[in-house]
Amino acid sequence: MGAVTLQDIRLKEYTLDNLSILKRLREELLSKKPRVCIERARYYTEYLRDMSPDKEPAEIRYANAAKHFLSNKSPLFFDDSLLAGTTTSKPFGAPVYPEWTGMTIWPELDTISTREKNPLMLSKKEAEELNFDINPYWMERNIIEYTRKKHNNPECMRILERIVFFIASKVGCISHTVPDYKVALDKGVEYIIEQAALKEAELKKDENLTEENRQKLEFYRAVQIAMQGVIEYAQNLSKKAAELAAKEHDPFRKENFQKMADVCSRVPAKPARTFREAINSIWIVQVAIHAENINMAMSPGRLDQILYKFYKEDIDKGILTVKEAMELAGCFWLKLNDNTNLVPETAEELWGGAGTVPAVTVGGVDEKGEDAVNDLTYIMLRVTELLKTRDPSLNSRYHYEKNSEEYRDRLAEVIVNTKAVPAIHNDVAVIKVLENQGTKLEHARDYAVIGCVELASAGRSYDASSSIMLNLVSVLELALNNGKRPVTGDEQIGPKTGDPSQFNSFEKFWEAFKNQSEWLIGKAIDLNEYFGHAYQEILPSPLLSAFFEGPMEKGKDLIFGGALYNSSGATHIAFADTVDSLNAIEKAVFIDKKCTFNELSKALKADFEGYEKLHAYLVNKTPKYGTEDPIAKKNSHNLIRFLYDFYQSHTNYRGGKYRPGYWTMTNHAGQGKLSGALPNGRKAYQVFASGITPVSQAANDLSACLKAVGGLESQCIASGEALNLKYPSVEGEEDIKTFGQAVEAYLRYGGLHIQFNIMSYEDLIEARNNPDKYPELLVRVSGYSAYFKDLNEAMKEEIITRTAYNIKTGKAVPFPEKHKSMLAFE
Amino acid sequence: MNENEKLLHAQRKPLIFDIHHFALDDGPGIRSTVFMKGCPLSCLWCHNPESMKSGREIAFYPKLCINCGDCKTVCPEGAISFEHAGRIIRDRCTACGKCAEECPTTALKIVGKHYSVSNLIEILLSDHIFYETSKGGVTFSGGEPTLYMDYVGKVMKGLKANNVHIAIETSGMFNLDEFKTKLLPYINLIYYDIKLYDPRKHEQYTGKSNKQILSNLTDLVKEPDVRIIPRLPLVPKITATTDNLTQIARFLKSAGITTCELLPYNPGGIAKRIAIGKDIHPDIPRTMMGIEEEKKLGEIFARLQN
Repeated sequence: MGAVTLQDIRLKEYTLDNLSILKRLREELLSKKPRVCIERARYYTEYLRDMSPDKEPAEIRYANAAKHFLSNKSPLFFDDSLLAGTTTSKPFGAPVYPEWTGMTIWPELDTISTREKNPLMLSKKEAEELNFDINPYWMERNIIEYTRKKHNNPECMRILERIVFFIASKVGCISHTVPDYKVALDKGVEYIIEQAALKEAELKKDENLTEENRQKLEFYRAVQIAMQGVIEYAQNLSKKAAELAAKEHDPFRKENFQKMADVCSRVPAKPARTFREAINSIWIVQVAIHAENINMAMSPGRLDQILYKFYKEDIDKGILTVKEAMELAGCFWLKLNDNTNLVPETAEELWGGAGTVPAVTVGGVDEKGEDAVNDLTYIMLRVTELLKTRDPSLNSRYHYEKNSEEYRDRLAEVIVNTKAVPAIHNDVAVIKVLENQGTKLEHARDYAVIGCVELASAGRSYDASSSIMLNLVSVLELALNNGKRPVTGDEQIGPKTGDPSQFNSFEKFWEAFKNQSEWLIGKAIDLNEYFGHAYQEILPSPLLSAFFEGPMEKGKDLIFGGALYNSSGATHIAFADTVDSLNAIEKAVFIDKKCTFNELSKALKADFEGYEKLHAYLVNKTPKYGTEDPIAKKNSHNLIRFLYDFYQSHTNYRGGKYRPGYWTMTNHAGQGKLSGALPNGRKAYQVFASGITPVSQAANDLSACLKAVGGLESQCIASGEALNLKYPSVEGEEDIKTFGQAVEAYLRYGGLHIQFNIMSYEDLIEARNNPDKYPELLVRVSGYSAYFKDLNEAMKEEIITRTAYNIKTGKAVPFPEKHKSMLAFE
Repeated sequence: MNENEKLLHAQRKPLIFDIHHFALDDGPGIRSTVFMKGCPLSCLWCHNPESMKSGREIAFYPKLCINCGDCKTVCPEGAISFEHAGRIIRDRCTACGKCAEECPTTALKIVGKHYSVSNLIEILLSDHIFYETSKGGVTFSGGEPTLYMDYVGKVMKGLKANNVHIAIETSGMFNLDEFKTKLLPYINLIYYDIKLYDPRKHEQYTGKSNKQILSNLTDLVKEPDVRIIPRLPLVPKITATTDNLTQIARFLKSAGITTCELLPYNPGGIAKRIAIGKDIHPDIPRTMMGIEEEKKLGEIFARLQN
């Protein structure tokens, strides 16, 4: 389609000074303090309490709850945004989803407003409502307790609650998806209702309904109910906007309210006719989906593609200017920032500072495999470059055979100017990965990014991509200690895979490692399956299902496998630390025979105190992932391959396969703080490396690092990877060119994803020491962006110590001598 | 170089002291630069002093040492002394490398490693995607790569078969006929050092006369398929004098050469000299050349060339 008509793809003439509405809204956003919003919890609880489960099937009951909330949801206009609708009832809200995460703040209701790290304001009155009214209802009805009771507190759940082995965040993965917004734009929500009604009527003709058809009928009924809720919310917005327009004296505001009143009276009920209607329609549907599903990575997908025809038509007709398109896109960007996660204090350690990670994807190729970069792609890049906000997590697709070099270098430039975004994804490799997972070629080409780095055919593939987050170091420690972990003491947790001091070859240890992995992954999968079934039984998603290819045809909710494609994603924490530890064991114990397993074990227990020479040897003389070392290559490849084969041999409750990935959000920092010393020389309670990134300061050669990571078998990384790199500075066109070329080389070697922080060690240390001076400093964590000041100390430390490469030499910049104590090996 | 020395080089397996991947300063695009060990010249200011000797050496970095003493235990020559500041008693050391292998911290390092022709080709080709995306390639540097015409020629041939762009950085001290047969057919770009014009000064500071260097350049310029860029290292008070710049500019002009890169002096070689136990000549500047100074010299030179 390749439709670039802009004279200047940089759109340099547009700045925040002449896009003053964006400037103002941005400033307002950054000054807002997040508040807990209980509106949704209130209305959901109200409906569900009144309607006991035996009176209505779950599908219909939850559709009615969504409708009840959406039709009562306050139509609010907090600012001068060009888009109507708010995720919560607060200008910057953290919505309560008591089905799961909402319960975690119950003990903190008194302190959540005043806690030191990322406080969330909660009024006394609302706290009381949660305490006395809402939470008691959910106490035994939330997913965790429901599952616990049903399966009699199963072992997998007890392991989960240790935190240090794996995390199975079903609630998050329900939302980890890319809905199909095209149906709302091209057909409208009324059309969905009509279709569902027709299907329902058809099924009703059959007097002897099978159980399967009865479920279908319920699903179609539920879709109609939920969609009615969506329309009512839009109508309420329209009415309210009209009221405000009537009262308003300021001419700009008056006109804007009037426009919103008109737009919301039409969309999303009916098809969108203009760019403004289209972008509003998507936003209202996005808000509505959050009525049902938690605000965690609900990703709008390929907006430059979905919206392009509306943009083009309006521009051709002369009813839209580039500037107006930028303002509308900018308002959408800022709207995506209007909510944040409800996180209890303890979890701040693990997730602190994360946004809600709604991923927007731009660029790449179209369904026919042709260049899809268009004017909107560049408009969205420019808006991102100007706004520099935490969300949306902007992901660019780059097809090195189809997209232009100009586009590639523009991506590099935006990264340099924002210091962080967009992330870059490899179209050639990703499309192959998805095809290998059974996605049709044209569907694979239409992939979008979910949340951090996960990949899905947009609106067709339901991938529950954060189902499992498994700590590979916990596996390593179980193998090193015959089924125990130092952090959990003397308890036998995993199977007895043998006392390593009796192993006479590295292969024996690798076997033990694999056995422990299979055991732990098995438990994580058990739990995910339990949760999946629990969702099927008590928490279906009829509303989300309406915006997906598959459910409407099959008459099946997404949670029952209604989507065209299904899978569950499992990601892995501490990949690089684990590979380097395997390397170290192989080299130290079996090749160089520098120590026995017993000695190594003692050194680890002592956190290397008294073992300085062995420690120095492990740090300096054992193979490191991210270099050309053949042992490191072998172990990294074997681990990737082994995990892939094992996961793929499991089928989930929706009939899809499990897919492994390597991205870590902030878990690698949090989990690192809970883990003992490792054979690669990492000291106890230090952070792990992020995503699929080599261990900080262990891979000193940029080209070797890019080759090593890019050379991993991408087919086996079916749920995505995050490679986080850091350049201290990139200056001038020459550097940008080199930047683009290095990225392209990495992608040609096969890497799926790469993202950057453009900051030096010193810059980051300065920002850590003076958080108030750098309130807007944006950093890439491991697949998403965050304001540096919001991160917990462990995560700050991890980002600071990540290897910085000099783009002029391709060599690691030495870590400042006087801060060396921050390094994981010191 | 006398016949004896030449024979010695021919017999010895060529050593490489570094392969710099992702090199941006040694030719167009992203390149891999191979640093050969050994050089016919011995410039006082050499910023790669570890390249001067063709044989293996041991470098010592005291900051990294944890005083474990393993080096002393394994040294078969008794060449390690903890009383000696440089740690290695150089006249006893045979550079066998046992100490560096044993050292847990890399405080002791072996400088110089031999790669078979096929292994080196394989290593260099593993970066081929970097070359392709950036229109880069491979550069042979040193030391003096033309000391090993047979070896380097074979590697170049293997690279050329894979369409790799090849550059060489040379001092110009080589047998021209041999260079033309063994290396030139593969080379796309030559960086050619012209340090001092005055043959006596050249001998004084580099150990050799520049007669061959200048005549080789005059001849090579006539070759049709290769680009030559002369390079002039600016060493304060030695090469960066108005006299020298004038003479070189005049020489280049008469040879029909219009480009010349000036390389500002950096004292990076000094620390390396210390690590391998080499003396530092008092004439060698200890600080970077200032940007102002560099600019001034650049202007003078540009004027002279016009």
